[in-house]
Amino acid sequence: MSRRTRLLAVCAAVLLAATAAQAAFKLPLPEKLTLNNGIVIYYLKTGEVPMVNFLLNLKGAGSAQEPAELEGIAGLTADQIMKGTAGMNAEAVSEALDFMGARLNIFASDEYAAVNAGCLTEHFPKVLEIASACLTKPAFLDEEFDKVRQIRLNGLKSAKDNPGQAVRYYFLKAYFGNHPLGQLPSGSDASLAKMTAADLRAYYKKYYGPKGAIGALVGNIEKAEALKLLNAAFGGWKGADVPVSTMPPIPEPKGIKLILIDKPDATQAYWVLGSRGYALADKIYPQAAVMNTLFGGRFTSWLSTEMRIKRGLTYGANSNFQTYRNGGVFQASSYTRNEKIGEMLDILFDLLKKAGRDGFSPEEIESSRNYIQGQFPPTLESNGSKANAYVRLAFFNLGFDYYDKYLAGIQATTQASAKEAAARLIPTDNYVLVVVGKAAEIKDQLKKFGTWTERKITDPGF
Amino acid sequence: MKKAAACGLALFLAAATFLPGAFRKEDIKVHKLDNGLRILLVEDHAIPNAALYTYFRVGSRNERPGLTGVSHFIEHMMFNGSTKVAPGEFDRKMEFAGGSNNASTGNDRTGYTDWFPAAALEEMLQMEADRMQGASFDAKVFESERQVIASERRMGVDNNNNAILSENVNATAIMAHPYHWDVIGWMSDIQGWRRNEVMDYYRTYYSPNNAVLVLVGDFAEAKALELIRKYFGPIPAGPPPPAVLTVEPPQMGTKRVVIKKEAQVPALEIVWHAPSVTNPDYYPMSVLSQVLLRGQSSRLYRRLVRQEQLATAVYGGQPETIDPYLFTITVQPKPDADLNKIEAVIEEELAKVKKEGLTEAEIQKVLNITRSDFYSGLQTIAGKASQLAETEMAYGGFEKLFTIMDDYAAVKNAQIIAAAKTYFTENNKTVGTLIPLGGGK
Repeated sequence: MSRRTRLLAVCAAVLLAATAAQAAFKLPLPEKLTLNNGIVIYYLKTGEVPMVNFLLNLKGAGSAQEPAELEGIAGLTADQIMKGTAGMNAEAVSEALDFMGARLNIFASDEYAAVNAGCLTEHFPKVLEIASACLTKPAFLDEEFDKVRQIRLNGLKSAKDNPGQAVRYYFLKAYFGNHPLGQLPSGSDASLAKMTAADLRAYYKKYYGPKGAIGALVGNIEKAEALKLLNAAFGGWKGADVPVSTMPPIPEPKGIKLILIDKPDATQAYWVLGSRGYALADKIYPQAAVMNTLFGGRFTSWLSTEMRIKRGLTYGANSNFQTYRNGGVFQASSYTRNEKIGEMLDILFDLLKKAGRDGFSPEEIESSRNYIQGQFPPTLESNGSKANAYVRLAFFNLGFDYYDKYLAGIQATTQASAKEAAARLIPTDNYVLVVVGKAAEIKDQLKKFGTWTERKITDPGF
Repeated sequence: MKKAAACGLALFLAAATFLPGAFRKEDIKVHKLDNGLRILLVEDHAIPNAALYTYFRVGSRNERPGLTGVSHFIEHMMFNGSTKVAPGEFDRKMEFAGGSNNASTGNDRTGYTDWFPAAALEEMLQMEADRMQGASFDAKVFESERQVIASERRMGVDNNNNAILSENVNATAIMAHPYHWDVIGWMSDIQGWRRNEVMDYYRTYYSPNNAVLVLVGDFAEAKALELIRKYFGPIPAGPPPPAVLTVEPPQMGTKRVVIKKEAQVPALEIVWHAPSVTNPDYYPMSVLSQVLLRGQSSRLYRRLVRQEQLATAVYGGQPETIDPYLFTITVQPKPDADLNKIEAVIEEELAKVKKEGLTEAEIQKVLNITRSDFYSGLQTIAGKASQLAETEMAYGGFEKLFTIMDDYAAVKNAQIIAAAKTYFTENNKTVGTLIPLGGGK
């Protein structure tokens, strides 16, 4: 009785707080700058710390159109761009950046590659100069490629020593198969064996260019100065239009696929379950967030409560959605000691069924909405997180009022709409489940879940 | 990860001074309650949230055999019920109010970190105060949480070759001081902790006079202080916790640990006894650690990864610890690399430092890195709270945050040479190797 009263009191206070927070906190609107060659940069001046963050997305240079035999080439190309340019070898690049305590990297995502930099404002001109030289005039030296190839090959081996990492790689292969998202970002033993620096040069030539590039600059720097520096660095970059890289539709499992990887020295069994999610622009986004927060998205979620808090089976259990332009994936994962894996998966399947069948209580829905709203402002607090938000919203045409709509959608999510989201998105019969563990101790417990395809961790590849 | 053990080298605090604009020393309002609780308040209205960091001066350093890992276990049990908050309610209430939390345990300190909308401040202070001395250690939850820790150890150590090696090397290098064991504790202790002993330990170290409360964010200072007084004021001071008396005896020769187990790739870790934060040698050794190990331009990365191509990664350094701990170099060797050759290259590089020290440019690089790291950490209310709380714990006062850059700037090449000669000796050194048994090629 008294507990209920207290809960209601808290409830009222928090509703006020959430409303106030929404009114008080919005993503600040950036200014749009256009460089001489058409590159768009969203700019925001922030005052407190003498630092800047810069991000530039290059459409088309991601892994979405990677040929299967050149698995990992998008990531390797991005990586090698930093390994030397006209007048600067790889040592000179790292020396200059480290001397300033600056961070500059170039990486490939699925539908784009990106330049990401953060440094003291006083060092920004030099950092941009290096970024520009590397990005527009990369050397792609054979000896540098040989070095990174060795590091990647070794990384593939050591991933198998860490079951928590290995299970992610096995899951990628099992879930996505030949889809670009199933390509290991680091490359595979087979692709690394045949790839050459010439392949990287060709990939760069075909997919890197200024057309359609979108960036953001957030930090303690004046606009006129920023525009001058950005034009000097990237405004003169010429290039033909690059092919748009759009991923094929995201795979959706039909039926149940069970994979067991035998790692004889493992003292815990690690698992990942995946199923169909939803696409980036799907209107279900807020309801899915409210629902997943309760299912596996925070400490008191169902997964964590049943597996960790009540039973001490694991240190952590969670779930999330990954969204792409044309589809998405739901994933849940955890681990437990060998003799408990059967019990843990029983709990998982009970909860998967319960979500769509029973939904969530009004208190749970209230709590989830409060939690998402309360945790939202820190996600846009730093310069880097604002730059990320601008580029993401612009690159995917989501609009700068996206987060306002999202938060309004969170507030509008009801018990019924969250249950609908669970019924649509929490899988009961079409999924992929991968377990890495000691087969001799876990195999019997797994039998009841269906027929498993079994492989050894020492078999080549993932 | 949630409620993680900050093991070993987790506490590289980046700090520096020369602060224009906000976050100057005078922006930090310092108070002390009669019961000894030290309070740091910083108003920051950039977002409608607050960060509450409550840190206690207790970590694996204060433990003993049979109770290893207990500091970290108590950190977990702090979420599992107290006088006015039933088991599980802390998280449920906090999340309902829009907040989230984490906590971490290190060698020297245990920290509780709460992030929440400003309107939840009073409830958060109330719950933090309630568990400062009122944790209930419910017998049933005690047993299930014990198994959570066992799972954390299996994940973090037993199924991680680098962590297995590191635990063995540290326990070999340090034979007497409590830094001998890892923050997570030995598995047999985890399975054996007794409730009454755990509670005695809790009562010994969880008192307001052994804690600091840091609050940064969207509040009015006077109101926040009033609430803190209301909830924390009635908590009685405790007796000062016992001093850690054990001093690690001098090592008398190089020690070697060889682990043979199923693995795809080998591992190598070398450690030397290192100075504590209060030793003037700390600063030259810290500068040196960054020049040797930080980034792709570091001396050891250049030699081992780029030039000789014996390894794919090298990292490590010297953590900020109250008592002398270890300077660590961890190498990820290539699968077929000669580990003796790697050790020889490291010794060659250390010999160069002992002879010539560092270049002016290298020392300047460390100053630039330190400054850049410092400002990066000030972009968020959580970053500010973290820097203040960690500096309080490591150096005994947050004020050090605003002068530590001077300590770095004062480092001379001669001091670096002298420190390298003092610490990088054969008698100070322990070498660990992990050799794959079988594995698949």
